[in-house]
Amino acid sequence: MTALLLDVVTTAAILFAVASGLLLVFGVMKIINFAHGGLITLGGYAALITTQLGLNPWFGIPMAALFGAVAGTLIERVVVRPLYARPLDAILATWGLGIIIGQTIVLVFGREVQFAAAPLGGTIDLLGESYSLYRIVMVPIAILLGLGIALLLNGTRLGLATRAVIMNEDLARGLGIDSTWVRFVTFALGSALAAVAGALITPLSSVDPNMGVPWLVNAFMLVLVSGTSLASLAAACLVLGGAQVIVSSLYSPVLGGITIALLAAIILRTRPQGFARG
Amino acid sequence: MAERPILLAAGMAALAIAAFAGATQILDTYSMNVLVRSLLYAMVALTVDILWGYLGILTFGQSTFFGIGAYAAGLVFMHVGFSPGTAVLALAAGIAIAVLVAAVVAWLAFWHGASELYASVITLVLPIVATQVIFSGGTWTGSSSGLSGFETFDLSIEAWFVLAGSLLAVATAAAWVVMASDAGRLIVAIRENEQRCKYLGIGTARLKSIAFLVSAALAAVAGYVFAGYAAVVAPELVGFVFGTELVIWVALGGRGTLLGPVIGTVLVDYESAQLSGDYPFVWKLIIGLVFVAVIVALPRGFLPILGDGLKRLGRWVGLGGKTTARTATLVTAARRTVATASDGPAIRIRGVAKHFGSLPVLRGIDFEARAGELVSLVGPNGAGKTTLMRCIADGSERSGGTIEIGGVSIGRLPPERCVALGIGRKFQMANVFDSLTVAECLQIARTRIDRPSLVRRSTELALPGPAARVVATTGLDQRLATPARLLSHGQKQALELAMVLALEPKVLLLDEPTAGLSKAERMLIGGILTDLATQERLCILLVEHDLDFVREISSRVVVLHQGRLVLDGTVEEVVGSETVKQIYAGAGHHGAPAEAAR
Repeated sequence: MTALLLDVVTTAAILFAVASGLLLVFGVMKIINFAHGGLITLGGYAALITTQLGLNPWFGIPMAALFGAVAGTLIERVVVRPLYARPLDAILATWGLGIIIGQTIVLVFGREVQFAAAPLGGTIDLLGESYSLYRIVMVPIAILLGLGIALLLNGTRLGLATRAVIMNEDLARGLGIDSTWVRFVTFALGSALAAVAGALITPLSSVDPNMGVPWLVNAFMLVLVSGTSLASLAAACLVLGGAQVIVSSLYSPVLGGITIALLAAIILRTRPQGFARG
Repeated sequence: MAERPILLAAGMAALAIAAFAGATQILDTYSMNVLVRSLLYAMVALTVDILWGYLGILTFGQSTFFGIGAYAAGLVFMHVGFSPGTAVLALAAGIAIAVLVAAVVAWLAFWHGASELYASVITLVLPIVATQVIFSGGTWTGSSSGLSGFETFDLSIEAWFVLAGSLLAVATAAAWVVMASDAGRLIVAIRENEQRCKYLGIGTARLKSIAFLVSAALAAVAGYVFAGYAAVVAPELVGFVFGTELVIWVALGGRGTLLGPVIGTVLVDYESAQLSGDYPFVWKLIIGLVFVAVIVALPRGFLPILGDGLKRLGRWVGLGGKTTARTATLVTAARRTVATASDGPAIRIRGVAKHFGSLPVLRGIDFEARAGELVSLVGPNGAGKTTLMRCIADGSERSGGTIEIGGVSIGRLPPERCVALGIGRKFQMANVFDSLTVAECLQIARTRIDRPSLVRRSTELALPGPAARVVATTGLDQRLATPARLLSHGQKQALELAMVLALEPKVLLLDEPTAGLSKAERMLIGGILTDLATQERLCILLVEHDLDFVREISSRVVVLHQGRLVLDGTVEEVVGSETVKQIYAGAGHHGAPAEAAR
């Protein structure tokens, strides 16, 4: 029981970390970044490079952030910017980018499954249960990420401009806010978050050129039911991630794999605003 | 009179089949082997194109229907055995299951209020779920390795090639006939402006569902033939990656053209088979790069670019004159014998309320209007006038109370069903189909009454008297072939009014029909409206800010203020009312009060 509870909380934390970048981009730009999966993979390989260079595994996280931010900057400039008015096309173009990232990685690193070193190993005794220390550490990391984004949005000038763009872009532009710049920074930040999430999940799974795709779909569904709020994303991760864990352990992992997508589709059908506003 | 492109299409299909038969003499076995698969994939790509390119539903799930057809064959042939009987059974089962699954998906994806994105999301979830279902089938479905080694049709490779080519040719020709017909125009209209279609009485969700079901069945047939030919089925066939590949091929070839996606799929899949042996990753990388470039820079795909180039070349060498687009000619619609309404009111509103959360916008609205009346709704901004219009035209809008049209309650009916009861709504902003011509816009508006043909494009535009008069007096009859987006603001307003009148409504809802019009245009519309009320016995509800205009044309005025009905009387009563003066003066409203009180 305790193990199940810990599974639920840590899974929710991981999902939150993976989905937060997508949420940020969706909230500000109203487009779904399907390159998110590719960027997660990129982060995974950043962690792998760190391991191969023999550096401290923790160093993989800033490395991933750098990789993601650079890739995001390029993507926004070249591909996403012309597609703001065509949101469905933006989904397709970013999916194409995901293919490009994946194939480039295959060309450089090969197709085989590889492993990055974990920053933390071993187990911890918690509530009478011996549990993976790294999974537990994901919880404070996810909370820190969430608080960091919230602080950025609510405590800085850029955050104020970003929230203005989220609420009413035309008005924000009329008030002299450079919404193009806001979108650019947001996309780079969202991409960096995706890559960081990729680095964070590598110790839990392997590194391979398609590692991001299964995460992409779950993150995408979670963001759709959460709207634009970090709090509702956290709630969605707990509820749907929890359902996934319970279905996986009680019935079958195969069913667990589609729990989030199925539940989210049904939630959106019956309650289009999802988890947003209570 | 109507054009019949069906003969032309049948001829083209026959020609294509003959070409496929001839090609068996030239092509080597290896190429034909690859091409059978490419041709069947092209058939699925065709259904993606119909859904996405024509109807605007971006679908990632057509692979699943292809896979269902393939697995139906694989499972039956593997576990029951192969015989002519089981072959027919497997095909029927494949189509039936595909249609059933499509019906569930359509129920989830297309409903009043669903967004485009949501429909895409559902089609994305479908292949993911389907793949997991196959994985959990264990040895019965072959799990991740699929099924192979089952007995199947004993046909030569040439026969498979001609069969696949014929299926593709017939499907493409049939799709071309439908897209060139009245129904095809309707499909484009739904993509362009689904909301306007609903308020023209067109059940868009139902039409989208039908298209989705037909596409699913077609994809299942292609999948069935594929399994019969390859004698192998694998979970990749139902999956999300194949689903997105189909979208990529359609985008490259040219969405919204039929030949583009077909040619694109055959070329890319054939080349993939040739090149992916030597350079598998580089090839996929190139496809990814080209795909992104096409989406960003050439959203129409390659075929239209090629077509434009050829046209320019043709003009340059002096071939091929101007293509004259044929436009329907105006005729007057036969007057439909409408059961003469009882003496009851045309519209009766009882206790209608609307609130957003805890904020009330309308409270206890009660009034009636009879045929032949022109009732103006006036009141300061935020009084709830437009909200009331919305509540009348869409049964799901109001929070409480009842609305009856000709004695029939609208209940919770969606807009298209309210239109069937006799409501016609003109929006505040001119709301027409920008890419269609004036004649086409009007033909779409007649969809509810003149059922569109699936195989013909009608050459006549039958309009009822009032709509025809609006078209004639505003000069639209001279511009029938003009795309609606090129019309002036006033002409767009007139066009929308004519479209709503083409519905032959009993109750006409007009939300500021003269906003942004010149004085002359306003007089013209005013004259038409009073004629409609007095001669055609329409019941007209008009929201208007211009009180001079209201005074000239109304037979009655209803005043709304802060969501309540404060006065319902003749023009003189309202103009002389102290309450009205207070409302406008008290609200500190600019300009209008003085005029109202004058």
